[in-house]
Amino acid sequence: MQISYRFERYSCTRNNSIFHEMKILVVEDNLQLLEAIRETLIVEQYVCETAKDYTTASEKVHMFTYDVMVVDINLLEESGLKLIREIKNIDPTTGIIIISARDSLDDKLEGLELGADDYLTKPFDMAELIMRVKALLRRRSFSGSPVVSFGDISIDTNRREVTAGTTQISLTKSEYNILLFFFSNPNRVLTKESIAEHIWGDNMDLADSFDFIYSHIRNIRKKITSAGCEDPIKVVYGIGYRLRRDYN
Amino acid sequence: MKLIKRTYFLTAIWLLPVMFIGSIFCFYMIEYIAYEETDEFLTYEMERLLNYHKENKVLPDYHKVANIIPGLRYEHPVFKDTLLLETGDGEMVPYRELYFTINHKGKDFTIVLSHLLLGKDDVAEGTAMIIFGLMFLVATFLILIVNHVTRKIWAPFYKTLNRLVQFKIGNPLPQFPETPIDEFKALNATLSALLKKITSDYQHNKEFNENASHELQTHLAVIRSNTEILLNKLPEKAGNGNELQTIYSASTRLSQFQRSLLLLSKINNGEFSNDVNVDMRQLATQTLSTFSETIDLLGISVEKDIRACHIFIDAGLAEILLNNLMKNAVKHNVQGGFISIKLTPSELWVENSGLPIQGQPEKMLNRFAKGENGNCGIGLAIVSQICELYEFGLSYEVFDTSNHRITIHWR
Repeated sequence: MQISYRFERYSCTRNNSIFHEMKILVVEDNLQLLEAIRETLIVEQYVCETAKDYTTASEKVHMFTYDVMVVDINLLEESGLKLIREIKNIDPTTGIIIISARDSLDDKLEGLELGADDYLTKPFDMAELIMRVKALLRRRSFSGSPVVSFGDISIDTNRREVTAGTTQISLTKSEYNILLFFFSNPNRVLTKESIAEHIWGDNMDLADSFDFIYSHIRNIRKKITSAGCEDPIKVVYGIGYRLRRDYN
Repeated sequence: MKLIKRTYFLTAIWLLPVMFIGSIFCFYMIEYIAYEETDEFLTYEMERLLNYHKENKVLPDYHKVANIIPGLRYEHPVFKDTLLLETGDGEMVPYRELYFTINHKGKDFTIVLSHLLLGKDDVAEGTAMIIFGLMFLVATFLILIVNHVTRKIWAPFYKTLNRLVQFKIGNPLPQFPETPIDEFKALNATLSALLKKITSDYQHNKEFNENASHELQTHLAVIRSNTEILLNKLPEKAGNGNELQTIYSASTRLSQFQRSLLLLSKINNGEFSNDVNVDMRQLATQTLSTFSETIDLLGISVEKDIRACHIFIDAGLAEILLNNLMKNAVKHNVQGGFISIKLTPSELWVENSGLPIQGQPEKMLNRFAKGENGNCGIGLAIVSQICELYEFGLSYEVFDTSNHRITIHWR
């Protein structure tokens, strides 16, 4: 309820900026990780700023507005939770993704209670982070449409419906999640591990014994091609899968 | 057994010899006093008769004495015990007799005085009454005294015990009561020191785990994200990135593994202790449904008999327990196999088809047990640890060479 209320209130200002570049602030005290995240976000065409500690982050938050903030809650000198509280005061519309190395439920609950939108446990895949950022932007409707498409295949993320060409196809929960994961990362190679972690989370070791991922992808391909569309998924030998660059 | 009960018991045992020796003593004492009194009375009577004879020169009346035997002479008065038939109730009754001789008109007459004695049964009866009365009094007072003294003396001990029982590791250290008794002082001081040490060890261990985990996962995140970036930078047809893929996989596995180890050590440390009444039926159904798609994909048939079952357990651990069991049943299954789940208020039973295993089935519950394809069996080690924590019975059996069954007995 609260989110939709905020959305109504701020949508007039935010919706004007469909074509404005999404600004993301990443707060993380490990510099190498910070750099890796920054590089990935820039490749995805986001404007990315970084802060390596609470003070820098706090200054930036007071001076600029960001669409999304990625915050490590285990910052050295101050808890990231304090930073989240601060952002929520200054600009409640900023989407917040917490990253944490602590797999602690309490931290997660506290973070989400403070108004964080998502929670990622380290180590995570860059593909997963991108997917979460995009999902967050879609949910907050900053980028307008809830529809994600690739070629003539489109996914309506509100209704969870997939249309290939003109035909609506029905996918299982995992198949839907995998396809959306691909569509959120059209330019990236998705490793089997990252797909497994995406659909099963902590149960990703299921993938050790069987090629479930392969079966899921085979089914997705079958459903798409039988709807009259070309197969969009390409095997990257030994590593995983990606969406075809030359598609349509 | 409670301290106070034990005290009563031991005191009661020591009262038995007191009672026994006391009874014998009391019996002979009463008997002795009875003889003494009777003899004294008879002697007095004899002197009275002697005086009477001296003054009146007349033999005493037959009515007043038991017998007068003429011609028999005793130099000294003699006491004798005898039994006489009581004509009233036809019983033999003990009498005390005194024989003494009076010289009357130059002839000796032995006069016999007799007096009823207390019978042995009468003495015994009296003894019993005295002893029982006395013992009753002693016991009553002993109970009162022991009760009072125990309560008073052991009060600091009970307070210490109470605080110790309520103490949970991770809570602030308990303050033990002040006491003037040296032994309790020593006890409290030792306990305080021990608890302090345990708590600080626990805290250090916990911090070490968390810090190690935090650092490890952060640096693994660096490795993984950079490998991922490199993987994405590989030119489209540049052969394969096998080495990169190996690094990537290893870092993924390592972080998963470390997470499991951290979980194990947290369970071990008792960091999950928020026990509530968990509806296992609902949880089992829910857990099964998370694997339903995978089960369908493998063509596994599921047979389930899930009945109402409530267990007092930490909700998070219950979830981990069921999740790991079901995951294990799916993960080590075969194409077209089966899973059979039975949940009752007394046990949980997960049976699945799989590959034959080498070695003993119980070993599969150990940490780092190797499966068919080299998987580390940490999932079952976690199950085993949770069962140990809650004292559930856990067994792993293999029958028909490739059917595996894990049974948990709730207790």
